[in-house]
Parts: sequence; structure tokens; C-alpha cells
Amino acid sequence: MAVVEFETPRLKEYPVIPILQAGAMAHSQPFAAAAPIQKALGFPGELVEDWQEQAIAKMGELLGKYRSLKVYLDTCVHCGACSDKCHYFLGTGDPKNMPVARQDLMRKVYRRYFTFTGKYFPKLVGAEDLTREVLAEWYTYFNQCSECRRCSVFCPYGIDTAEITMAAREIMDSIGMGQKYSNEIIGKVHKIGNNLGLPGPALEDTLAGLEEDIKDATGADVKLPLDVQGAEVMLVTPSADFFSEPHVESLIGYAKVFHQAGISWTLSSHASEAGNFGLFIGNYEQMRSISMRVREAALELGVRRIAVGECGHAWRVAYSFWNTLIGPFDFLDQNYPVPQHICEVTYDLIRRGALTLDKAANDHRIVTFHDSCNVARGSSMGNMPRGQFIIPREIIRACVNNFHDMAPESIYESTFCCGGGGGLLTDDLIELRVKGALPRMEALKQVVDEHGVNFMATICAICKAQFGKVLPYYKFDMDMVGGVHQLVSSAIRLGAKQ
Amino acid sequence: MAFELNGNTYETDEEGYLVNLGDWSEDVAGFLAQQEKIDLTQNHWEVVNFLREYYNDYQIAPAVRVLTKAIGKKLGADKGNSKYLYELFPYGPAKQACKIAGLPKPTGCI
Amino acid sequence: MTVLTICYALVFYAATVLLVGGLAWKIADYARTPVPLKIPSTPAPPSTGGVALRMAREVVLFESLFKSSKWIWGLGWLFHVALALVLLRHLRYFTEPVWTVVALAQPFGLYAGFAMIAGLAGLWARRLLVERIRYISTPSDHLMLVLLIAIGVTGLGMKYVSHTDVVAVKAFMLGLMYFDWQPLPADPTLLVHLALVAALMAIFPVSKLLHAPGIFFSPTRNQADDSRERRHLAPWAEKLEKAKP
Repeated sequence: MAVVEFETPRLKEYPVIPILQAGAMAHSQPFAAAAPIQKALGFPGELVEDWQEQAIAKMGELLGKYRSLKVYLDTCVHCGACSDKCHYFLGTGDPKNMPVARQDLMRKVYRRYFTFTGKYFPKLVGAEDLTREVLAEWYTYFNQCSECRRCSVFCPYGIDTAEITMAAREIMDSIGMGQKYSNEIIGKVHKIGNNLGLPGPALEDTLAGLEEDIKDATGADVKLPLDVQGAEVMLVTPSADFFSEPHVESLIGYAKVFHQAGISWTLSSHASEAGNFGLFIGNYEQMRSISMRVREAALELGVRRIAVGECGHAWRVAYSFWNTLIGPFDFLDQNYPVPQHICEVTYDLIRRGALTLDKAANDHRIVTFHDSCNVARGSSMGNMPRGQFIIPREIIRACVNNFHDMAPESIYESTFCCGGGGGLLTDDLIELRVKGALPRMEALKQVVDEHGVNFMATICAICKAQFGKVLPYYKFDMDMVGGVHQLVSSAIRLGAKQ
Repeated sequence: MAFELNGNTYETDEEGYLVNLGDWSEDVAGFLAQQEKIDLTQNHWEVVNFLREYYNDYQIAPAVRVLTKAIGKKLGADKGNSKYLYELFPYGPAKQACKIAGLPKPTGCI
Repeated sequence: MTVLTICYALVFYAATVLLVGGLAWKIADYARTPVPLKIPSTPAPPSTGGVALRMAREVVLFESLFKSSKWIWGLGWLFHVALALVLLRHLRYFTEPVWTVVALAQPFGLYAGFAMIAGLAGLWARRLLVERIRYISTPSDHLMLVLLIAIGVTGLGMKYVSHTDVVAVKAFMLGLMYFDWQPLPADPTLLVHLALVAALMAIFPVSKLLHAPGIFFSPTRNQADDSRERRHLAPWAEKLEKAKP
């Protein structure tokens, strides 16, 4: 494997805004999607001949379809409020990773082709033709944005760089410049049903193995049902929950919660993926057709409720977009929110006293919570203000004795991305991922030093995988990261309620 | 991309995973392991062989849990954990071992 | 009627047409462009009333900017509030009799002139001195500040250095509004001041000054957090739905 040598950033005592290092990440690009991957999604296999014309036409089309894009390309005043807010900038010092500079990569082209000043006074307003060099820069730097939306929190106009990154990726896909990681995964969802490409029989075998494990560990007959007709709840969870550590621990946690609450539930082999990489590539149709599997499965199985497992961007898509993309959900039980986050399910059960939780079972852990970007800034929970922050923490507090939040500027809506979101969780971007994790690692180090924190809980499959990978670069143990339902799984007492 | 071994040419993807699953042989595995700076011991082979068997049955590499359990059964309970697998394959058992076993790289949120 | 008066009269009509027409066209364009997905940056209010309140906090207090950087916020807010007061004060040249609120603002308006220039100077200093902001600045960003500062300086110049005949200026402005042109005093400071203001009006709809109407159309700020309760569907997305059930 071609490994680029790089230095892991040093953890500083206090976060410092880096000095600009122009071009520091100019070499970082993800692998391009090969022709078969592209064609499977209906994109051209390679860069089309009249790519410039087509790209500008696509930009025009998107400007007509997305008000966000049009308004955000017009309204920026270059005030700099966002300039020190991106984790990739903070970790790399590359000025093009400042959100405003990243947006400007598209804005300069927008101005050149779509505005009066850019057409007639390009130098004055920094407008530029869409040249090969500019296109290459797009591919480089729009694949260094995790669409985490932290910048948009601080922008006086709410300009959301994610909207611009998504548009750029959509334009690039449309002219044959796709990114391998995301597009290959979307292909697998269409073909096999989930991001991993886990076929039904493998899923069945894996779930059976997990039932055995739970039985061995607890003596209880906790089931992980698959494709059960007429179940009350269908759980849609990221396929990483079936495959990876520590993800699988949370899956076991969900199963124990349903078991103990006596709720009939099922997984679906048709909708065996909560994740939706259509979001990452900014493609509405892809996002819709991936989501549609959930609607189809729910109708097919005749379930009454849909719950979503621990996956950040999936929850944004589910919470904010499903009703639009695959609604209306009039065929489901209206007494529950549609869809429901697994944390909402568990939290309700805890409040109703339906679960017995033994905090002492987690006494070997000193826990903190990493808010995942898409949950924090693109969704909510529990029909209460700030529920997306309160509910996971309340669940943790119900399961552990030792909990400490990280620094206020690094949690809630100001949370830092793990560094691997938005379709960047791939080995070809490992340098970016390690460096982008810096702000979170600094905040983590603080609570490790002050409170001896040894477990960072999160509710996102990408966060878990990313931290599992990058924690060792910062001399932390890779097992430090885990799911909220992993804590639930440890604390929950199975069997008759005492 | 491609590499040559014993006069044959083998096609790989950007990251060195075999493109054609049928190209795999023990020699090829040895070569790929060398690229990863791994000396294949009997214990490595147990993992590689299990991966191939499982893939043959299910068209996917086994979940980490499934793998650790199987290895635990074969090599002893003390080796049935991901820590041991990481000792064998430092870059991650799923990804590195799959490469040596000639399987496609598992990707997703993992 | 002097050539000068005619020129300035025509320039102001043209600038007004560009400002009003351009903004109306831009606003209509924003309003017409669909919003296919619910993308409020959360936590967001669940109701329209809450959204109005959030928007008001953004527009009046610059809430998000305050969260970002106290320096930009302080300087930016100072400039904008001062500008608002200055504009309010200038209404006296367009109203007869002068509205009470304008009369009341009169004394503050003067200080506001200085505050405005101070704010602009601070913002420009940031643009020149802070490496990150310098990096993202285009020539137009600097020129915009120069233009605003020049307008402020010439305005204050007429008050404190070389007085201009404000009664005649008011007559000229009212004359423009009622299509009964009156002579414009040929005072150089005034002429520069007015020419710069006309330029500012003209470039408003084709420049970053679009942030003023833009913020009201920003989906991350103007959408309610009610996606699970209410189905939101853009016209083009609805068509897609009918095409592929």
C-alpha cells in the first residue's frame, strides 16, 4: 500500500489557531472511482470530453434546484468568522481548508459564469474560469470537507459549506470524477443491500453467532431477529454494527433493550443499512433510492415503528429527510415519532422504569461523550429542545457512575467532527483523518488528564471506526471508543425485573 | 496496477488487493504478505484459510466477531480476541488479512 | 438648471433603479428557487414564531457571529448599528416635516458617523493584519471598505470641515423625489459624497452586499425543526416522486 509518510500533530495544552501553510494538503486526494463503479450509479465512467461545459451546465441546474447553494454563493462577505472553525484547517494549517476558502473554490467559478461582476470584472472579485487546475483543486479540497457543518454554526448568514461541498461532488460525479470510497459503497447498497456488501445469509450467520455469544455471556436468550413479519419495531442500523468492533457491542445493547422491554423487533435483510452515502455525494436521487429500501422493508414486514441505530449521518437523513424522501409514514403507529432514534427508545424505557440498570457494571469506565456532527447540527431527538444532546447523556448517566463532558467549545452544536465523516473514512485519506482529529484529540486529552477518562462514547458508526483508527496515532488506546448502547449493554440486568 | 511473480502478472487495485479472486495462490499470499512486511506463520495461515473458506460460503469476509471466535476455537481461547489478531495483522485483521487472503477489501463505516 | 444638477439627478435615478430593481430581481430569484430538503442547523426552533425570533437575533444582534469571534462581532456590530443610525439621521433630507424618530436620533447620528468609521477601520485593519483574513480577501473586499470609509469621511467632512448648504441639498433630494428638480450646490465634498453613495447603491445587487437580503433566505437559519411532523416537498422533488413511484 502506498503509504504517505506524515507526522501526527502534537497535542497542545490549549488549542492554537495554526499559522497558514499554503499547499500543506494539496497532495491529499482520495482514489478516483473506476468506470464500473461510476457507471453503476449512472455517472460517466471517466472525465467527459466537454467536461467544462457540462460542469457549468450542472452548476446552473443545481443553482436552480437548491436555494441554499444560490444564496450561500452570493452572501459571503469574507468576514472570516468561519476561518478557524474547521477541524481540517486546525489540524493541517492548509488555508484552503478554511471553510470560506473551500467555498471560494466554487464561488470564484460561480462568479465567473453566473454573476455580472465576475463576468466583467473577474480580477476585482476573484472570479476564475473553470480550468483543469481549478477542477483538480475541487477534487482535492472538496474531498477534505466532512460536511460536518461546524462552520455554519458560526457564520452570521448560516452559510453551510456542506451544501457547497455536496454540490461540488455532484458536479464532479456528473462529469465522471467520482470518489471511489463513497461511490463503490453506494453501488454495494443497490446491489447487496448495505454498505459493507453483507449478503443475507452472512447476516443471518453473524446474528446467530451473536445470539450464542450473548447466551454464553449472560445466560439469557436474547434474540437478534431478522425479517420477522409483523414485528412491532424494525431496527435499521449501520451495517458496521454487524461487522466491526466496537460497533457490534452496541448492536448487542439494542437487542438487550428490546428483549428486556418485551418489544418485538426485527432487523431487515432488505434494509440492512442505515447509512446513506447519497448524502455525502449530494445526490438527491441516490439518497432517495437508498432510503426507499427502508420504506419498502417496513411495508413488506408490516412493522408498526421504525427505529434507527447508532449512526450519525443516517440519523440526519432519517430525522430530517425521510419524511420528504420516502414519506408519508401514515402506515406506521402515530403514537411514536417516525422514525425514532434507538436512544429515544431506550430513554423512554428508562424513564418508564422498564429497564434495570446497574451502574456499577461500568465502574471500570470513566466516560465522556463525543457529539457526532450530523446528530448535533442536523437533527434532534425526543421532541424537546436540545434533545439530541440531553438524551444520549441521560442514557449514559443512567448506566455509569463516572461521566465528564469535554470542553464546552468542543461539544453540543460546537462539536468537532471525528475527522472521518462525509465520505472520507478511507485509508487513502489517512493523513487527513489523523490531522483532522486533532481538535477532538486535544479536548479528549484534557479530560483524560483531568478526570482519567478512559472511554469516549458516541452514537455514530463512522466516529467509532475513525477513532478506533486514529486514537493510537495520538497514543491513546483504540478500545477507548465505543457506543452508548455498549454502556447500556454492560449495565442492563436481564431476566425478571426486580 | 499489477505485480509480477514467477513469470505471471497479477492485476491489483490501487491498494494492492487482487482484482481477480481466482489469481490467488499460496505463493501470491506469500508475496502480498511480504509487501505488508508480515512473515506468514502457521497462525497467520489459520486466519487466511478461515477467511477464504468463509468468503467461499458467504461472498464476504467474516465479521470481526465471527473471525475471533473461529480463531479462538482453532488456536485456543486466549487467541480468540481482536488484540491477538492485531498482533498478527497490525494494520487491522479485516483489511490486512483480507488482502493476503486475496479477498476484496471490506469497506463501509469500518 | 446646471449640467451638474442634471447629471446628479440622472445618476441618482439610475442608482435607485439599479438598487431597487436589482434587489427586487435578486429577492424574487431567491424566493423562486426551491428548497428541497430541511436543513436547519440544529438546535433549531420547532415553530415559525421561534424561527422569527432566531432570525431577529441574527439580524439585530449578530448572534452567530458573537459565538464565533468577539472581535469581528464587536467591529461588525459597531459598524452596522452606526450605519443604521446614520441612515436614520439622513432621512431628514428626504422627509418634510422631519419624522419625530429622526429628530430624536439626530444627536446620536453624529457620533454614529465616527463610530461607523471606527468600526470600518477596525474591520479593514483585521483584513490587512490577520493572516487568515488577508488570505481570503479579494480586491473588492478592500474596495468595499474604502468606499464606505470614504462615504463616512466626506460626510463628516461636510459637518466639521467645510460646511455644505444642507438646506439646498434637502431641496435637491425632495425635488428628485417629487420630480421637481432643484439646483444642487457645487460643493466638491458633497459631490464626492453623493457620487460614492450612488456607486454604493448601484453595486448593491451585484456584490457581497447581498448578504442583507440573503440572510432572510438562508435555509439553515429560516427553517423550523419540524421535519418529522410536517412533510416538506419541493416541486421538482414531487415530480420525481410521480415519475418513479
